Amino acid sequence: MVGSEQSLPYERPPLSKVMLSGSGSVDEIQIHPTGFHIENSIETLFGVEVSSLDANGHTAMLKNGQTIEWQHCVVATGGKARTIAGLPLDTDRIHYLRTIADTLRLREELRQSRSVLIVGGGFLGLEVASTARSLGLSAAVLECSDRVLGRAIPPVLSSWLYQSILATGVDLRLNTRCESFDVRTDGVSIGLASGEALSADMVVVAVGLEPEVAIARHAGLSIHPGNGGIRVDEHCMTSAPGVYAAGDCSSQTHPFIGSEMRLESWQNANAQARLVAAAIVGVPIPPQTAPWFWSDQFGWNLQILGVPVAGLQYHRRGELGTADTATKFMLLGANSAGQILHAIALNSGGDLRQLKPLVDSKTPCDPMFLCDASAPLRPLVRAALTRTYTPTVS
Amino acid sequence: MTWIKIAAVDQVGEDEAVAVVVGDLKLALFNSGGNFHVTDNICTHQYAMLSEGFVEDGCVECPLHQARFDLTTGAALCAPATQPIRVYPVKVEGDDILMDVT
Repeated sequence: MVGSEQSLPYERPPLSKVMLSGSGSVDEIQIHPTGFHIENSIETLFGVEVSSLDANGHTAMLKNGQTIEWQHCVVATGGKARTIAGLPLDTDRIHYLRTIADTLRLREELRQSRSVLIVGGGFLGLEVASTARSLGLSAAVLECSDRVLGRAIPPVLSSWLYQSILATGVDLRLNTRCESFDVRTDGVSIGLASGEALSADMVVVAVGLEPEVAIARHAGLSIHPGNGGIRVDEHCMTSAPGVYAAGDCSSQTHPFIGSEMRLESWQNANAQARLVAAAIVGVPIPPQTAPWFWSDQFGWNLQILGVPVAGLQYHRRGELGTADTATKFMLLGANSAGQILHAIALNSGGDLRQLKPLVDSKTPCDPMFLCDASAPLRPLVRAALTRTYTPTVS
Repeated sequence: MTWIKIAAVDQVGEDEAVAVVVGDLKLALFNSGGNFHVTDNICTHQYAMLSEGFVEDGCVECPLHQARFDLTTGAALCAPATQPIRVYPVKVEGDDILMDVT
């Protein structure tokens, strides 16, 4: 295993949450217990980069000149934070967040600051805002689209989140484009299209991920022109036999979704890793089920199962109450055939898990039947799966 | 061994779980396939109640990030958990579920 970062592999989700708000070290978020790689005869080269890949000759050249011969090759290079020209990397008071090194530097500056401007109202921007608020900073989030998490959740939830986030004291701005940047030794100002300028002690930029595919491209592997990912089949094999790709850098026709996409999620990375391992050792494993994603922000746990396919009608289970930790609800998005293809849970991950067999199997049902929040969900799901229910009359 | 009653058999249906507090211990009582198990309630990965998790096949999945634990041994079976949860001896006498608090 060749990794450009210095540390043993670690979990990235905590980087915007507990690693930022706490004072722990990377040791606490390691994927495997210390000693795992040695015990399993996995040779590791950290702080080392592959400079080129010979897909036909089955070799890889490292930047230090060393060559590795391989039988199977897995490209799991993830990606880098997308940058904004006016907010350059490695600049005081400007932060991008992808690695543990980024987190430690960001954590340090958050402790010394009273205000932070966050460019980007996606999952990462919102989680950073949440953490900053919990540390007592004032925070503004600048989002260019007209609703938060527009590609991941339906409008009704965007509205609820927008109001709830404002109520936490975050200055959340929608339809807001940053036009000019003034990075000074004493703070940063961002000029908006409206003419207004916002200032803060520091800026965090969270405007997306660029997949890291340069080595794959130079090796002649097929890259998806739209999503920029290394194209793989259902076994995560690339266009070059013996070379696999997995995680944020890969582009795959997901069996649940039916279209090719690049999924940026912890679950996809784990699921594709299993697909690659199974393919390498020649063991058949079941295809992927509905994608699953979570975000912890502002004291809520938001979980998403499936995908927001166009034309879904959303049904609510539970009340969209005020955002305290007692609030829990689910939104079930079903198509005209009654298949629930997108389900979202706020503070009710256990319920979402109950729904999983129904979503994975795409069994048509009457979603309203599942929406009686006073009735336990599991028997309702069981009934829907075996189709032994009485459909509600509309 | 000091056995104390913590619940009645009919309080926990099949593949269900309830939270139980015994002294300072925050516990979860599970019924998986008719077998009762008692574990610590807080997931070793992050603060979440396993009593609100998904129970199936002698395992519980944490509701927060789906870490799975074996209810008999407490072993962490999948990411993101790496640390096992503590399990406690359980027995059923008549309609009572008892656990060993020593």
